[in-house]
Formats: sequence, C-alpha cells, structure tokens
Amino acid sequence: MYLTRQEEKMFDGEFGWAHQVSMEILARLGDLFGAIKLIPIKSAHVSGVSYKNIGDAPIDFLEALFKAGGKARVSATVNPSGFDPDYLTGRLPARYRLQQSRILDAYKRMGIKPDLTCTPYYLREPRVGWHLAWSESSASMYANSVIGAWSNREGGPSALAAALVGKTPDYGVHRAENRQPRALVKLDTVLQSDVEFGALGIHLGKALKDKIPVIDGIPSPTNENLKQLGAGLASSGMLSMFHLQWEVPPKEELETISIGGKDVREAVGCLSTASERANLIFIGCPHCSLAEIESVARLVEGKRVTKETELWVCTSRHVKEKAKRYVDVIEGAGGHVLCDTCAIVTWIKSLGVDIMMTNSAKAAYYAPTLNGVNVTLAPLNKCIEVACNQ
Amino acid sequence: METITLKGRCIVPGHCKGRALTSTKPISFLGGVDSSTGRIVERDHDLKGKAVKGRVLCFPHGHGSTVGSYVLYSLARNGLAPKGIINQTADPVVVVGAIIAKIPMVDQVDIGRIETGDLLEVDGEKGIVKIVRK
Repeated sequence: MYLTRQEEKMFDGEFGWAHQVSMEILARLGDLFGAIKLIPIKSAHVSGVSYKNIGDAPIDFLEALFKAGGKARVSATVNPSGFDPDYLTGRLPARYRLQQSRILDAYKRMGIKPDLTCTPYYLREPRVGWHLAWSESSASMYANSVIGAWSNREGGPSALAAALVGKTPDYGVHRAENRQPRALVKLDTVLQSDVEFGALGIHLGKALKDKIPVIDGIPSPTNENLKQLGAGLASSGMLSMFHLQWEVPPKEELETISIGGKDVREAVGCLSTASERANLIFIGCPHCSLAEIESVARLVEGKRVTKETELWVCTSRHVKEKAKRYVDVIEGAGGHVLCDTCAIVTWIKSLGVDIMMTNSAKAAYYAPTLNGVNVTLAPLNKCIEVACNQ
Repeated sequence: METITLKGRCIVPGHCKGRALTSTKPISFLGGVDSSTGRIVERDHDLKGKAVKGRVLCFPHGHGSTVGSYVLYSLARNGLAPKGIINQTADPVVVVGAIIAKIPMVDQVDIGRIETGDLLEVDGEKGIVKIVRK
C-alpha cells in the first residue's frame, strides 16, 4: 500500500507508539484487503466497550494506548457499556463497575466521546458521501443504506486505529464499484411492523451472506423500519449495506430472492424461543429514536407496568434528554428509560431475567446465546400489553 | 534431518522458532482463549485445555468478536503468547492481534502438512515456514 511521507513517519514511530501501532494496523489491513492508499474519515465509531462483552483482556491495550499519548484525530464515539449509572449500579457487583470504569476512562483519555450508544447517527448525522470508520454493524449499515455515507463494517480495533490516525484504508464500500447490488430481493407482501422488518433482515442476511441486495417492495418505510431491517441483515450476514432503489441497470443479471408473507411470518416465528411470560420487556435495540420513545409513551400512558415485569426502554443520553416529556410518562407508568447500555450488553441473567420479550429481531437473535435467556419476539403494542398485564 | 519449506504470505514480520500446536478448527480468541492462563477454553475445540505459550500456533483462521485481537495482546503481556502464528487465511481479528502483540505471522500456508510437535522456523518477512524433522 502507498503511504504518504507523513503516514510513513507515523508508521515508523515518529509520533509515538500509540499512533505507530494504529498506523501499522491500518496499513497491514489495507494490504490484506487490496487497498492502495489511506483516505481521510470524518468520524469513527468504536465497539468493544461493554465489560460484559469484552472482559478484562482489552483493558491492558486500551490503557497502554492512552499512556503512550494516543489521541483521536477525528470525532469519535463509542458503543454502549454494561451500566446505566442511575439504574443498574447498585444491582451488579462492584468489580464489574470498577473494570467498566477503567475501559471508559481509557477511551475518554484518548479524546473519544463517552456517548455510549449504538446509534451515533442520532447525535450527529453524517452527510451523504462522507467517509467514516464505524464498527457496530447496525450503525455502519444505517450510515451506508439510510444516510448515504460510506463506511466499511469495521471491527472494534480497526475503528479505534482509524480514530487515532484519522484515516482508513480505501477498500470495500469506500469504493463506488463495490457498492453496487449483487442480488435482487422481491417482496410481494406488505411488512406490518418493526418486528417484520427486523426478522426479514435476519432471514435475508443468512441467504445473502456478503451480497449487497436491492430490496424491491418496501413502498414508504420509516427510518426506524429500515434501522430494524439493517440491524437484522448485519447480524446474520456479513453485509455492510442494502439498497431500496437502484437506477443504473447493473451489468450482470442479479441473483433473485422472492419473499412472500409466509416467509416473513416464519422468519418472525423462528426467532422466539419462549412462550411463557417474560420478566423483562426490552425496547431499544438498536437504541431508540425520539419517535420510538414517543410511541412507547403513547402506549403506556394511563397504564401501569406490573410488579412481576420490568420494562426497559434503552436509548442514548442525548435522545433521552430530548425526550423528557415522554420519559416522564414512561417512568410515571413504572417503566425505565435507560441510557449508556442495553439488555444485550449488560448482565440481565444476574439481574434475575430468564425470559425476555422484545420488538427487536436483532436482540431476539442474540439473547439466547449472548445472555443465556429465552426470548419472545413481538410487536411493540404486544410488548407493552404484556408489560402492563392486559 | 529433513527440512520441508512451505511458502506463504508475509502478514506480520519477525522471526521465531518453536514447536507447532496445530488445529483444523478456527479459533475465537474472545471467549475461546483465557488470557490469564494462556489455555484454549473454547467448547468442543480439539485444542481445549492446551496452552499456547511458546508454541507456533497453526489454525485455519480466526472467528468471533473483533475484540478478540486484544486477547493476543494480553497473552503477550502476561508472557503467555504463542511465538508465531500460521493461518490458512488471515482474517482481521488475528492479524490485528498479531500486530499489537508483536507475533510473527504468515498465511496462505497448507497447515495440513504441519503436525503438532513439529519444530518450525518462521520467517515473517519472507512468509516462509520451515518444518525441521529429525
């Protein structure tokens, strides 16, 4: 790969070890994927934050980086942690809290904003055509497919290296030729809810693997519908984007997948592993938008969450502040609006949860293996009915 | 004495010499290798219980969380890291791990020709692995 003189100096260690090792990561990954140069990025989003997910191993490296003077050169954000400081702290072991603080401190000292969300696009929406280095597969998917920015689906370490260098290797969907669809999905059913969007995503991700699809038959989706679709696609497949329209006729004939109502119902059905009553209702995977919090507030208004069930609505601190009047309604009804975390990246099993109900196909896909709990996937209105025992 | 030379691709430069620890299964470093003991703990893995310290670790490729790279760094800090890594196909998790832990790494090598216990000489610069058998 070609490095400029400045980049070469960084590779050789003239700017210290933290930037040397970051540049080495980008240069060697660039070689591996056939990039010929690095390109500047507008922002980085770094996964590898929750102590529940990553454990002790990364702490040494993150602390070594900031001690060696590692500083982000572009705007950078991080994924959710294992804690909501206002709600979960007293219910989990002090050691977890301590180790989580060490991880957050290391990122903060490198100048990375402790926004702790998987939806950094709600904090500052990138512009069309911006190059980004975002890990968190649902976020890079949203950036590419809904916003029209350009990001590979980075890993945690490569996004961190990109944050410190301010650049990323020019390969994958940073190149226009790699953003073309390679499969056509024909939908002959009208998707009814976020659950169906998400479950279709999981179903298609398995079939498409890394083939970018153009999905035909979604007439007027909301951005929240597309967030669920993309989160599902990215969870079960290696995809980094999808299209809803593709005007230039592609050179090759596209592999076609037809989806009917029965396929969607089956995709929803096979994500549920429990039929018994849930003791946690989880809304907010990926983190809720303002509109999603408003929908929850409208459904719980005038009702009461039962004692046997917890209702968690997870979002970013930024959105929670904007949603204050809806938050008051939800908390007034006995629900909780959590920020900085979610049910997947905290220790729900230690908190006494054995069955979780959610409207997120991504959460339903991961919870049985990552959290050891059974799940029921159901639309938002059904989730709130169960929370309020109706 | 017999020497077999396998030509692969340079991933991380550096030289090392050590005994091979070989698996036909991918390794997930996050959750699959305990960085405080250096042992493989992945369920149903053919190397489960084996220590990677000082060995040239040969396996097809990595899988699992990208944060697995950091486990290789911790192993190195705890003096428990493998001396070298040979993969069939390098993937970003293992590549980044080998870079930050300073472990010589070569890929595009037919690891089926390497047996556990073989003495290996790894030249990360040239991407060459030599099997030395008595």
